[in-house]
Amino acid sequence: MRRTIRTSLSFLLVALTVGGVSLLLIVMVGSSIPKALASFFNGILGSSYAFSEVLVRATPLTLAALGVSVGFRTGFINIGAEGQIYLGAIAVTALGMYAPSIPAPLMIILAMLAGFIAGGLWALIPGLLKAKFGLSEIINTIMLNYIAINLVGILVRTVLRDPSYPYPMSPTLPPSTYLPMLMTPTRLHAGFILALVAALAVYILMFRTPSGFCMRAVGLNPRASRCSGISVFRNLVLCALISGGLSGVAGVSEIAGLHHRLLEGISPSYGYLAIVVSLLGKNHPIGIILSAIGIAALQVGSMAMQRASGVPTSIAYIIMGLLVIMILARRELSGKER
Amino acid sequence: MDTPVIILITTFLAATVRMATPIALAGLGESISERAGISNIGLEAIMLSGSYFSFWAVFQSGSILIGILAGLAGGIAASTIHALLSIRCKADQTIAGLALNFLFLGLTSFLFLMQFGKITTIPSIAVIPRLRIPVLSRIPVLGEALFNQDPFVYVLIIAATVLMVIFYRTEWGVILHAVGENPGAADTAGIRVYATRYIAAIANGALGGLGGAYLSMVKLGFFQENLTSGKGYIALVVVILGRRNPFGVVLASLVIGSAEALQIRLQTLGSAIPSQAFTMLPYVVTILVLLFSFSKNTDPAALGLPYERNKR
Amino acid sequence: MTDIDKQFFGKPANSKVNLSVEQGEIHALLGENGAGKTTLMNILYGLYQSDGGSIELSGEPVTIRNPKDAIGYRIGMVHQHFHLVPTLSVSENITLGLRNPGHPFVKRRQLNREIRALSERYNLAVDPCALVKNLSVGQQQRVEIIKVLYRRANLLILDEPTAVLTPGEVESLFEVLRTLRAEGHSVIIITHHIGEVLSLTDRITVLRNGYNAGEVETARTTEEELSSLMIGRPLQQELPERPPVTDTERALVLDGITSEDGRLGPLSLTVPSGSIVAVAGVDGNGQKELAEMILGMARPASGTITLDSRELNRLSVRQRKDLGIGYISDDRLLDSLVLDMDLRENLLLSLYRNRKFRHHHLLDRKALETEAQKAVSEYGIKTASLDTAVRYLSGGNQQKLILARELEGNPRLVIASQCTRGLDIGSSEEVHTVLRNLRDQGCSVLLISSDLEEILKLGDRIAVMHKGRIVDVLENRDIDLTYMGLLMAGSGTERRQA
Repeated sequence: MRRTIRTSLSFLLVALTVGGVSLLLIVMVGSSIPKALASFFNGILGSSYAFSEVLVRATPLTLAALGVSVGFRTGFINIGAEGQIYLGAIAVTALGMYAPSIPAPLMIILAMLAGFIAGGLWALIPGLLKAKFGLSEIINTIMLNYIAINLVGILVRTVLRDPSYPYPMSPTLPPSTYLPMLMTPTRLHAGFILALVAALAVYILMFRTPSGFCMRAVGLNPRASRCSGISVFRNLVLCALISGGLSGVAGVSEIAGLHHRLLEGISPSYGYLAIVVSLLGKNHPIGIILSAIGIAALQVGSMAMQRASGVPTSIAYIIMGLLVIMILARRELSGKER
Repeated sequence: MDTPVIILITTFLAATVRMATPIALAGLGESISERAGISNIGLEAIMLSGSYFSFWAVFQSGSILIGILAGLAGGIAASTIHALLSIRCKADQTIAGLALNFLFLGLTSFLFLMQFGKITTIPSIAVIPRLRIPVLSRIPVLGEALFNQDPFVYVLIIAATVLMVIFYRTEWGVILHAVGENPGAADTAGIRVYATRYIAAIANGALGGLGGAYLSMVKLGFFQENLTSGKGYIALVVVILGRRNPFGVVLASLVIGSAEALQIRLQTLGSAIPSQAFTMLPYVVTILVLLFSFSKNTDPAALGLPYERNKR
Repeated sequence: MTDIDKQFFGKPANSKVNLSVEQGEIHALLGENGAGKTTLMNILYGLYQSDGGSIELSGEPVTIRNPKDAIGYRIGMVHQHFHLVPTLSVSENITLGLRNPGHPFVKRRQLNREIRALSERYNLAVDPCALVKNLSVGQQQRVEIIKVLYRRANLLILDEPTAVLTPGEVESLFEVLRTLRAEGHSVIIITHHIGEVLSLTDRITVLRNGYNAGEVETARTTEEELSSLMIGRPLQQELPERPPVTDTERALVLDGITSEDGRLGPLSLTVPSGSIVAVAGVDGNGQKELAEMILGMARPASGTITLDSRELNRLSVRQRKDLGIGYISDDRLLDSLVLDMDLRENLLLSLYRNRKFRHHHLLDRKALETEAQKAVSEYGIKTASLDTAVRYLSGGNQQKLILARELEGNPRLVIASQCTRGLDIGSSEEVHTVLRNLRDQGCSVLLISSDLEEILKLGDRIAVMHKGRIVDVLENRDIDLTYMGLLMAGSGTERRQA
């Protein structure tokens, strides 16, 4: 009983600290708290458009975070979601540009597949390096991020370029690649549904199939897994493919549902945010959906807060970083339990 | 008297050194930290912090010295938080580093906008001028590149040399190494493991803060949101490429710096090759290097693992 | 040391233990696994505090609160697991943590000279500039000893020093210890090897189950006396009627297997179907390596492993388990359980491949639930609910879970290593019954245990293992326990006729 009380108190402490700091920051800017908070909540719940924006942002976060969570659970720390997202984007763009005549329903399926494979292969490189040679995937995945971002830069200036535009970007992709819209006139597209479906799929995979079970076992106790005949190598490789693949699909979704063309910077750190989302969501599909919506709301709300009350959007990053840090420190704050 | 080619090479080398300096400084700091067993991904946070606070201090006080001190303090603040999380709270060091990057990105942007958001012109400070070292700077080609630079470069050279001595020739280096490889053995031998790690973290923050200060005080003369834009992560790469050896880190930074300098040069020349091809190069090189030297995993054995005494 | 008491979680490790060592003496602390020897020495070295009793040095009572105090009293300890930094040199390891002259700049050459002088004085040839990771285990041990001597220890404690040495290295070590004695140092050596004790020491204190079992002068004692002191009187037990073991074609056959690091083999052993072969021996003589090699975690460097005439060498762990091999590891937390998973999922570790638990590629939860209930009732596993993480089960219940899982479905071969460790008598009895039933159904059971009682109760044949080899295989009929004790302790006495 005492343990539960202390745990609850520590969570309360975290919430209070984060909340308190946010309010403090608002005051520092010279804004009035009620006005700022009002504009924040207005920005996410005030209209259907506002709420749809939250979901639009939550879509790639959810997909990528699902990928990251599969990695985490198998013991594969995938910091490379950002790069994998871009790889997926490249895949769908290449498909749309060089095979434009494929009819609509088939096109989308192929695009998703291509994005999944592209992202999966991108994660497979550090995955193999880890499974075979024991090399740390943390630095490798970060470097592949930069390679991927630069790759996009090269491609939109060369093979994937739209010659009619002065800016480096791909031409608008054919409508067959478009994901159906869910709620005109908002930007909400079917990628959101895809994200929910993916969450369900990940749940089933990780918790209801033998493969998912093996992956979780490898993540929790690789040695016991080996003694039971579970191959750590195979599961790490499989996990890398799936983890990267999901982020790749996130990239496809952003292009096919939102931008409809490839350009630099389509991912405002979604890949890194996805790690935070996965962490806050305790690496569980349901938690991920909720925290993705939460983080997306934080970003959208902070943008509204900036427009209406002049509070800089950087407050969102402060809150996010502070939240994770407090959660990391929470055990220590509540008095050491174990 | 110099031919155009020589001038080209000299200016290119000088630019390389300038590009390499902030990364090298941060890399040196991280190599100290990693030798002690702490893997700090939060170099972006350290550099941003150093960069902003040094800028702010110079703007307020007009004194370069105070600016440098503020940069050091800013970097140390960031690395100390990471140290507390890693050592005291025994949290996952990678996640702590990532969270810090977000936190300080937001914090520095926020503070900057608060201070200077109303002003329409970009606030700037006087850039630290170059300091020409007599005699040495007369050496053809190299002299101009190495010894006609701002003081930070000289600090880098001195720091790298000092660290080489410390790592490989003093008892402090042995202690650092022991703490990162086998903290249990170090503990039994009477070494204070936690204290050593904290000190390493502080050194990391100081050097990284200095690297960040370089960006705002020397290179640009101003600050803006996300000034470092990934340099912190690149610093991690040079640590690995240089195998945590101070001279190796500096060398690796020069390689990366050269890619950057080349890229800028090509841009001004209007080359058709996208600059990204060159920005990409260092990372590709690193992965290839890692692939082909996989047999020698030189990571300290206890890297990233929190130390718990009496863990029987 | 007088009347030392020490308890761990209510179980006494030392009860009223007495030990006295003279100056310039090599004293052996002899006993089986778990007799309390290491605990006693850890108290002397300040790693533990005793619950009762006192310690005197040269007639003066002393309090030793931590190793620093012990070092202050000129006591040094060389542990079984070395505290060395592999990537540093010998010299750096020896001087680690000490304020050397010229700090922080190290006068390495001067220190190296001092170390070389020290090592020559005690016959501990070692190169101060060599990296520790390039040294053999025997050389590393010398570094540890020099470390201790460098800090001016008068009394040296060595914990199981010969466990990791080859016979040649053992002789070198003994030379060193004799030199130490000649120089006036006192040495306490913790060991369970009777033969070595007899050739080296001056006096011997024998511990058994935490008590003093005897204190003798080496010159006046014999192997037999020591063996019986260590093991105690042979216990009266009823040996149930055992069907005679007939060697059939169906058997697990190990032929000349060796491990790559040399810790195992050459070893040959046969476990016929329908029999229990018990491997007796002190922990650390290659039993774990043997078990893992049969399971498939390690490939033999040479030799073959066959089960029912089918060679296993190239099969993976999974393939071997599919053939029906159950494994009960001696380190269940590390090898057999995923602590944060619940009971059902831990059962799944072995069963996930089983068709019975799959339903169109999904896990059949109902079948799993039924199986879990069955396991709980059959083996009497006490748990609040099936959802609790296995981490919170008691050791005994965890073990029962592992048994339920590994022994399910009529396995062909069961490797059981320390399977009743941590179980109460009732549960141990149940486990024994299960193993016997398995045997009667034709299973080959390889039982590895350091519990002699258990070995004698269960084994149809008893193989004694020492330093990675099987030194002898005895039928479990009228066993000469003293002889067995000698075998386990590495004595080379010839077999006596019953």
